[in-house]
Amino acid sequence: MSVLVDRAIESAGLSDVLEARRAGTLDGSHRAKLAAADLLALGALADRVRTEDVGREVRIFASDADRAAFAEGDVVVLPPEGVELTGLELLREVAVARVAGPAGLRVCVDWTLAGLELAQVALGFGANELLGRIASKRGLPLAQGEVLGVGKKSRRELASVVKRKELAAFVRRAGRVPSFVGPDGAPERFEGEAEEAEST
Amino acid sequence: MTLERIAEKVEKGERLTFDDGVALFRERDVLAVGLLANRVREKLHGDATYFNRNMRLEVTNVCVASCLFCSFAKLEEGAPGAHTMKLEDAWRELEARLDDPPAEIHVVNGLHPGLPFSYYEELLAGFKRILPTIHLKCFTAVEIHFFAELYGMTYADVLGRLKRAGLDSLPGGGAEIFHPEVRARIAHDKATAEQYLDVHRTAHQMGIRTNATMLYGHIETFEHRVDHLLRLRDLADETHGLQAFIPLAFHPDGNGMRNLPAPTAVDALRTVAVSRLLLDNVPHIKAYWVSMTPEVAQIALSFGADDVDGTIVHETIYRAAGSRSPRSLTVSELVRLIQEAGRVPIERDTFYNVVRQHPRASLPEAAMKVRDRNAHKHLEVLS
Repeated sequence: MSVLVDRAIESAGLSDVLEARRAGTLDGSHRAKLAAADLLALGALADRVRTEDVGREVRIFASDADRAAFAEGDVVVLPPEGVELTGLELLREVAVARVAGPAGLRVCVDWTLAGLELAQVALGFGANELLGRIASKRGLPLAQGEVLGVGKKSRRELASVVKRKELAAFVRRAGRVPSFVGPDGAPERFEGEAEEAEST
Repeated sequence: MTLERIAEKVEKGERLTFDDGVALFRERDVLAVGLLANRVREKLHGDATYFNRNMRLEVTNVCVASCLFCSFAKLEEGAPGAHTMKLEDAWRELEARLDDPPAEIHVVNGLHPGLPFSYYEELLAGFKRILPTIHLKCFTAVEIHFFAELYGMTYADVLGRLKRAGLDSLPGGGAEIFHPEVRARIAHDKATAEQYLDVHRTAHQMGIRTNATMLYGHIETFEHRVDHLLRLRDLADETHGLQAFIPLAFHPDGNGMRNLPAPTAVDALRTVAVSRLLLDNVPHIKAYWVSMTPEVAQIALSFGADDVDGTIVHETIYRAAGSRSPRSLTVSELVRLIQEAGRVPIERDTFYNVVRQHPRASLPEAAMKVRDRNAHKHLEVLS
């Protein structure tokens, strides 16, 4: 984290929010400040909290079998089911959840609802998990162009074509370390992992 | 450490170098790059965010060039999907909108080998006859170069005749990536970088203002992007005629690079931010919503962009390459998009004169919605 980010947090008047968060004394006035904060300053604060709380790892839950492991512990999943969020709203929700939530809170973005592009941006705003079922791991065309484009496909279409390797690359390009979680909650390796890490 | 050093230079108003540009593209903390670009954007424009009432028109998609990234062009008249509008049909597109007329028509075409030059002159003159106040931002530098070659004229001759017919400014398309390592592979048979820049130079010398673009996210490297931006910066130093820079995200559907992934939103935001930081002599950076979607364009307004382009109405080039952005946005949709991002919407003309300033939302609308939803405790874990 750079001095630049510290300065942004300070000049947005969010330093006391960070202090209160660390001390566990966040109250309504702090939450009101978060609501009114400039988008990037809010993101910077959330990213700072994320770094302190959970580091650079992004845990990815990509199959139905992972759901049992996923359900353990305090987790916020965004966007909330049945709620349509714009990109800006999603980023704010993610950041507010990270800062206003308890230490170590898992902030998860469902990329099948948010879209991969916005999910990737959300990793810079405090999210540390990605959720979304990969429908089929084999026998599909690589289809990167079908998946990776800005504004390329409707959000729901993505689910059927994305692969683990692509998800991992998305996470790595956001400056994070991807880690797939298996049904038992343990890290799970995937085909082509080393090659993906090398190329990204 | 590098980012802090660059931040110091930006604070002091020192010009960034090639290496600084590459370092900004490589910086993992995209938010920090965004913060820096946003500071520059706010120094230049405060919260002002521009848009205009414009209309896109592509009168022909017949094109002799074979650019790898293009999903729009058809090689010859009569090929499936090829079209060339009759002048009357092109004019009718404007006539049909006279009850709520656009302020600008933006015309970009394929390089058609068989049309007389008078077609283009009459096209412009016809638009001006229908609506004398309309601003005609027509023909990329690549088209101007093609006209000069095809009709045996100089750039100044072509621009002079088009200006007399009604041309007001040039759009920025056709720049792609200037570096020959890339250009030779993706756009080998149209204007070179030097020719593109020379057309703009000539236009500026004739008092015709222009925009510039960069098609990013395909086979180019960060070094190629920085080279591109610095060539534009050099031109702007020389002529002061560039109004806006528009980074264009590559879309792969239906073209010769369909096996490539398109750039991600993070890349789009980073490119906007680095463009703002490097192009210290180009007043405006556009978040072109057709290219990056309205959603990402909204976010880009915090990463250095101060303009979202306009209502568009009739875009087909990105559509052909797979963009799912809407075909047009209304003025009220653009105003809302900007207000939601916490900025002040300003309807402008093509030269950035203020047509109408819209009110700022009391809080960014997105922030209010998030606050209200949180008040209803759907984030139960926070309650």
